[in-house]
Amino acid sequence: MPPVIDPDLCSRCGQCVDICSEDVFFGSDEGEVPTVTYPLECIHFSGCVYECPDEAITLRIPLPMLLVYRPTSTGQ
Amino acid sequence: MTEEVIEADVLCVGGGIAGLMAAIRAGESGATVVVVEKGNARYSGCGRSGNDHFEAYIPEVHGPDIDGFIEELLKTAKGEILLGRNIFQTQFARAFGIVKLWDEWGIPMKYQGGWEFAGHSFPGRTMTHIKYEGRFQKEVLIKQAKDRGVVILDRVMVVDLLRQGDRVIGALGVHTREEKILLFKAKAVILATGKCSRLYPSLTPGWMFNDPHGGVQSGDGRAMAYRAGVELQNVEMPQRHIGPKYFVKFGQASWIGVVKDPQGEPAGDFVQKPDRRHGDMILEVNKLIAEEYHAAGKGPLYMDCTDISEEDYEYMMHWMEHEGNISLLDHMREEGIDIRRHPIEFSTYPLRAGGLIVANEKAETNLEGLYSAGDESYGDISAAATFGWIAGENAALASQETKSCDIEVERAKIDEMGNSIEQLRMRSQGPDWMETNIALQQVMSDYAGMVRNEALLEQGLNHLKRIREKARGELIARNTHELWRCLEVINLLEIGELLFLMALDRKETRGLHRRPDFPETDPMLDKAHVVHLIDGTPRIEWRSYQGGE
Repeated sequence: MPPVIDPDLCSRCGQCVDICSEDVFFGSDEGEVPTVTYPLECIHFSGCVYECPDEAITLRIPLPMLLVYRPTSTGQ
Repeated sequence: MTEEVIEADVLCVGGGIAGLMAAIRAGESGATVVVVEKGNARYSGCGRSGNDHFEAYIPEVHGPDIDGFIEELLKTAKGEILLGRNIFQTQFARAFGIVKLWDEWGIPMKYQGGWEFAGHSFPGRTMTHIKYEGRFQKEVLIKQAKDRGVVILDRVMVVDLLRQGDRVIGALGVHTREEKILLFKAKAVILATGKCSRLYPSLTPGWMFNDPHGGVQSGDGRAMAYRAGVELQNVEMPQRHIGPKYFVKFGQASWIGVVKDPQGEPAGDFVQKPDRRHGDMILEVNKLIAEEYHAAGKGPLYMDCTDISEEDYEYMMHWMEHEGNISLLDHMREEGIDIRRHPIEFSTYPLRAGGLIVANEKAETNLEGLYSAGDESYGDISAAATFGWIAGENAALASQETKSCDIEVERAKIDEMGNSIEQLRMRSQGPDWMETNIALQQVMSDYAGMVRNEALLEQGLNHLKRIREKARGELIARNTHELWRCLEVINLLEIGELLFLMALDRKETRGLHRRPDFPETDPMLDKAHVVHLIDGTPRIEWRSYQGGE
């Protein structure tokens, strides 16, 4: 579920619902913590993360999208 | 569904860079302007989260020879763009003016007080791209548009153009959150829609929206243009990009590293150590290199930035942020991935649809009152901004000499759309948009992929027609969100079918259109391959590029 909203931090302003062009928060109720209705449609560019005035959103990158890199010789 | 009519002199479809620039210019020319955006204009289009390269010809830097500048540019990946020379001449005669405007408006186009050139250029040759800080560019452009009285309507998907004779008189659309049809009455319409994502599978086939263009860019503009009789060009010519593996992002030219194989050998001979001026141009010369290394058992291929200086590291991070790669940077931080220690695997990305809406140097299409700019005709930031500006200027001028028409002449088309939408919403059983999209991607990838021949293309076309027919009668939309996704997929199916028809007609191998049954490139076909709808039938023909060449 890409955007993860911390309900304790969220002030329910609806900014994320307003700005998401893919409308992954479609159907969220005004004045409530937004619902991530269509997580598969998230495009992971962090618009909601940086627009959130409460810093209540983090982006969980789905496993198929993990960046592939070469560990150092010590395995770090 | 309720209907609402909105009137404007100039209607801009799409609120990306081109759409906003068109709106700003039309607005300051005295026209009433409405921008219709499917998502939210602040975060729509390829510039949504930023960009950092803007190609511009600056006489005091490059000297008086604009044609020499263009020649140099066409040696880079830009050379893949099949357009007439006059299009580039128009762009570079005006792009620097746009650079200065943007800087004035508050998009920082200078770095440390001067023009900073880096990336997309070969060592020792003319530098063509200015680095600029574009992270907040959309915010700035929206403010400029609003200052000129432009109205921006978010959450409306324009579905079709309205015509009277050969003239475009408006458009019709649906609200993405309300059960509402919107009818637009306009003296001029500018298509500034996006690319065509989701036609082919993404690098992560189970994760369809892992796409640098975003999911909303579903070829709506070219599909509606085609249905209205506008000419499309080279729809069958595929494109591919290269970039970080699995976390799909554009911006390869912002990386400062050397592309290397697992033994640490550079894959190209442009740079031996990280170079902030040029990056590694091997990625621009051959975007298939990662796939080729993999297939030859020589992979994986890495973007190796481990020799980067601390100063260049800061420089790269600064520009990656402006290029719109902030989520990638956050991901690396969270995962403990540090480019100073860890080579990053790069992958050739899957096929993407190419093609464009034919527009001349004035951004005019073949239909009176219809203009096209940006990714649908000729993308990249500089081209989108410049031709958006030109489209807005010409549309505003034309609107002064035009009377608005009664859109009721298109009542039959409006009602037909209303009925189709009602059917999508009424059905309770059937494939939804995603199931249909998966079926489409499968057939595109298997039958119009990297290998094409007549038998494959014919088989694929037949199969696609079956999918399309079923979608026509069975597609379901459980709410307004699924409704616009359905309408997107209907557009993608249209483009997919056209792609097959044009790929069958291009009996040669050229670029990434590979036909083992016609293995040679036919010099006689170095032309625009154009399709348009005449009396309900696609007509395909060969023509010189716009402006001739």
